[in-house]
Amino acid sequence: MSVARDRILALMRTQCSIFNTTYNPQRLRLGSRILHQRLKGPSVAEYYPPRIGAISQLRKLYPKYDILDEKEEDWVEHLNVAKSRGKENPKKKKTAAESKKFTRKR
Amino acid sequence: MSQFRAKKLDIATIPKIRNLRDHTKRKVYAENEPERQALRYIIRNTTFPQRVRAQAQLQLAQMHCYTRFTQIKNRCVLGGRGRGVFSDFRLGRYQFRINALAGYLPGVKKASW
Repeated sequence: MSVARDRILALMRTQCSIFNTTYNPQRLRLGSRILHQRLKGPSVAEYYPPRIGAISQLRKLYPKYDILDEKEEDWVEHLNVAKSRGKENPKKKKTAAESKKFTRKR
Repeated sequence: MSQFRAKKLDIATIPKIRNLRDHTKRKVYAENEPERQALRYIIRNTTFPQRVRAQAQLQLAQMHCYTRFTQIKNRCVLGGRGRGVFSDFRLGRYQFRINALAGYLPGVKKASW
């Protein structure tokens, strides 16, 4: 015994209203499949752990506190020692004539 | 493609260039995903006029390759390895072994029978 088509269509319509899908008895390609897909971008983007607790960030967050950076201090100390021994970086040349002195030697 | 890269390092792991590149791609993909999906919807919907769909196809094809999901690869977070990566732990096989034996991965135990 076959069921009448309009009964089947009515069933489809109620199914669609219950499960929140598009009622499409002609089976047109409406692309709703794509709109149903979840956006995976946010979960994909958090694959690598974020960089938190860096000293520059801490300084920005807590400007009142004095946060020590051991590496930076070591570096500054090294620079000061070099400076006291006259081994600092050369001064920046301001004019073209000053910078030419080096090229003439060759 | 460095126009997309963050000016300051924003991942906590050892910054290998392949990891940085992959991270950049992930961020660009997340940013552009809604647009891509909208274009894909227009392309797949046969009730739209053919001209509109063809234009959407062109637009999708002309988007930057970094906005594509196929560019993204699961890499080892610690070593940057592209092959033999356990996606559950985001670690390459050797890093996984080292960390598991050291007890840094909760619930992982060396099997023996």
